[in-house]
Amino acid sequence: MNLSVRMVVVLTAVGLISGGLLSVVNLLTAERIELNRLKEIEDAITQVVPGTVSSQKLYEEDKFTVYASKDASGQELGYAVYASGTGFQDIIVLMFGTDPAIETINSLTILEQKETPGLGAKITDQQAFLRYWKGKDIRQPLTLRKPAVGSPEELGATEVNTITGATISSDKVMGVVNLSLERLRQIKQEGKLASGDGHVN
Amino acid sequence: MSTKSLSAEYLKGLWDENPVFRQLLGMCPVLAVTNAVINGIAMGLAASFVLILSSVVVASIKKLIPTQVRIASYIVVIATFVTVADRFMAAYFPPISKALGPYIPLIVVNCIILGRQEAFSSRNSVGRSFIDALGMSTGFVLALLVLSSIREILGAGTFLGMQVMGSWFKPWIIMILPAGAFITLGILLGIALLVEQKTRERRAS
Amino acid sequence: MTDTGFLLRSSPHLKARDSVPKIMYAVVISLMPAMAASFYFFRLKALAVYLICLAGCLATEAVFLRVRKKPMSSLWDGSAVITALLLAMTLPPDLSWDIVLIGSVIAIALGKQVFGGLGNNIFNPALVGRAFLQVAFPVAMTTWSPPATLVIDTVTYATPLGNLKFQGALAQGTLTPLSDLFWGNTGGCLGETSSLALLLGAAFLLFRKTIDWRIPAGAILALGAFTGIFWLTSPQEYASPLFHFLAGGFILGAFFMAPDMVTSPITPTGAWIYASGIGLMVGLIRLFGGFPEGVMFSILFMNTFVPIINRYTRPRILGQRRGT
Repeated sequence: MNLSVRMVVVLTAVGLISGGLLSVVNLLTAERIELNRLKEIEDAITQVVPGTVSSQKLYEEDKFTVYASKDASGQELGYAVYASGTGFQDIIVLMFGTDPAIETINSLTILEQKETPGLGAKITDQQAFLRYWKGKDIRQPLTLRKPAVGSPEELGATEVNTITGATISSDKVMGVVNLSLERLRQIKQEGKLASGDGHVN
Repeated sequence: MSTKSLSAEYLKGLWDENPVFRQLLGMCPVLAVTNAVINGIAMGLAASFVLILSSVVVASIKKLIPTQVRIASYIVVIATFVTVADRFMAAYFPPISKALGPYIPLIVVNCIILGRQEAFSSRNSVGRSFIDALGMSTGFVLALLVLSSIREILGAGTFLGMQVMGSWFKPWIIMILPAGAFITLGILLGIALLVEQKTRERRAS
Repeated sequence: MTDTGFLLRSSPHLKARDSVPKIMYAVVISLMPAMAASFYFFRLKALAVYLICLAGCLATEAVFLRVRKKPMSSLWDGSAVITALLLAMTLPPDLSWDIVLIGSVIAIALGKQVFGGLGNNIFNPALVGRAFLQVAFPVAMTTWSPPATLVIDTVTYATPLGNLKFQGALAQGTLTPLSDLFWGNTGGCLGETSSLALLLGAAFLLFRKTIDWRIPAGAILALGAFTGIFWLTSPQEYASPLFHFLAGGFILGAFFMAPDMVTSPITPTGAWIYASGIGLMVGLIRLFGGFPEGVMFSILFMNTFVPIINRYTRPRILGQRRGT
């Protein structure tokens, strides 16, 4: 066989076999990967709005999604907001839950971050950071308490704690939450947060 | 063509030709993902999977491949297995897949793997290539294990996530940052060279 | 090359008045006023840090000399003592003893001995130790306590530069007064607070010609020019050059660390380039960086350029054409 023909044949064959194998692998795993992704979001919603039995996507734009969370009887428990923003090093993706009136925050969870290990990465830490967010009054923008305090009781109603040595990361998370809250109120006012069972305001 | 005994073929990967400490190959994952033992092991196993299967495949089809397109063919073979590993981890071990991020797809360009195809599998039998790949993989996993153990214990005070240092211990955060990877690797390479030098002196005398 | 301790070359020979220990102990003497100031401002805490640093550095040096089969007399050539003192001066007074010890071991081991000992190190050893600690223990390394001379009812206390950067001291008018910076009556690393004491020591070194005057001069000019431009355009937003000279570790760095003979350029032109690089970097980091202080990073950064600066500023040999 002519050399150049042989080269083409061999490369094509290798490519075809590889492609065939990969499509099989994709068939086998795609569903599970998608499930993993959905489960992560569902878990996060249940975490930020305790008691959630079902959730429903109400509104979606780039990097900003609002879910309504409901208990077993279909009663609305509040909103879970999926948002992201720039951190100290890379994008921070987080989710937080509010009551239906958007007056208090239930809790906050960090889904993705690449902050400095041991410092900014403490934003994922319950003990060091996240527990200070439970039940905050969000009718006013949240503010940062610096220097940090040792227990949630010492904070004001709209204050969240700083991580010692990672002021910037703490501040960025607070910034994302404050901005998202503003946006949430705005789209609620515009009537875009209609519950999905037929009622459109 | 290698004429070593099969056991020597395996053992050379552990020390004499250890891909990390002796050949200094595959430094990117070695430095990047060894901040925790679990990541080190996962990376080691994923790279081993790719290396072993690629070596076997390349050794079995080596006669069919014209030399001019061999590198392209090897890369397609390697990339196929890397994608398999990547999808598999994303489906069954999502947290690890997330922690390793882009470094799993980057196994494609890991020099250990392409290096073994070019240097060994393309001119040795399937069985021998398998043994060679197995040895190199073991050496790679061991190196990652050593490096990630040192970094996780000093940098976080934990081993595989379990607290091993007492409460008196203050974690050296630098060790789980990139700088710690370079410092640890540098010291380990120095020690490896020293050991090598001493054994050579002993053999000579 | 066999290390006989002698370099055999043909004449002419130049008999040098200075020897390594002579130079080193001159530096130690010049550090005395600043050490005294740190004892006065931080009391026994300061003494403890100095002693641990000395013990750690000398012990590490001894271990390396032993392992590398070098004469033990080098232990007392003063270089390890200087590393210890300079490292101690760049540490916060309240640092716990184990962190101080780790820093001293790293300073000698990774800063000096891995490169082959005195004369071969690329970076200032004391600053290597400090940089390691800064990244390894960022919280402990940025927790400051007020000097014993200030009666303040707080445990933690921000440094003048920290105040400037993170608390908006300039806008609130709470910027540390220059007189406090001059005498040393403020928070900060052990040896950096008292500008007066440091300048006394620096004057001795300059008088004795132990350090190249171009290096502190270049650093001061560059930092002054950089911060001066911003200060002149917007004094309510940026602190004055004088504040930047006196605050933080600039004097300690410019007079005692940057001119380190091993890690600074040997040519006069090179010294100017190196020093202005340091001054500029300090200004950049302080004004626009993530850290309030940048002296350590600037010196380490410029240390990396020393070989290349030396190479390109080599004086022309008489009669030689340029570019050969």
